[in-house]
Amino acid sequence: MTGHGSIVLIEQNCTSCMICARECPSWCITIDSHTETVVDQPAGARARTENVLDRFAIDWSLCMFCGICVDECPFDALEWATPQALPARTLTALTHEIPDLSAH
Amino acid sequence: MRWLDWYGDGSTIVVDIGLACCALEFEAATGLVPAVPGAAATVDATRLAAGGRVVVVVSGTVTDRLAPAVAAIVDAAGSYGGQRPTVVSFGACASSGGPYWDSYAVTKGVEQLVEVDVFVPGCPPPPEALAAVLDDISGRVAS
Repeated sequence: MTGHGSIVLIEQNCTSCMICARECPSWCITIDSHTETVVDQPAGARARTENVLDRFAIDWSLCMFCGICVDECPFDALEWATPQALPARTLTALTHEIPDLSAH
Repeated sequence: MRWLDWYGDGSTIVVDIGLACCALEFEAATGLVPAVPGAAATVDATRLAAGGRVVVVVSGTVTDRLAPAVAAIVDAAGSYGGQRPTVVSFGACASSGGPYWDSYAVTKGVEQLVEVDVFVPGCPPPPEALAAVLDDISGRVAS
């Protein structure tokens, strides 16, 4: 059984929809993204844009480990993981970015 | 105030400032260390051995009203070891205000009052996390 020690991000599933960040009771998730025009569209199709994730960060010093973000994500981009979020010497070190959150 | 001789050898005297529910996790952590048989381990600060350290654990929500008292306890703890005590911010509230970070009455992290050595994440952190942090601070290998 997966423990509730930390939360990991499955980056390719994330659409930068912001639902997790808005549902988080302690506002511990930070998301930055931009939109890009999809280039390989069939001829005559309307121009489309897609979101590209630039930054996804969880501040473990704020996180309540409630799992609402995991439950709310419509794209299964967030998952519980067993390894405990580890103590740190500084507050800023407790904010984990995409590379830290992607590690299983 | 309760001074716990964590390892029973005077090397690490632990004081908990229990302000909210994280204090329960602190109490649970005392049960993890055989040398701390509950209240019986309550010691005088004079039990501090030479070269030992005082560790102040802030567990719970620090309100602005209580902030001066918290700072005063840390100062007082420092007067025993002859050096600044090691301060552990235990849990989200103590570290950054946690879920109350937007409250008018809550201090946004105990670091605004005193220098902090270790921040332990969690709401609450498990008791094992505190035991591991104390092992780390005192130079013992975390079990």
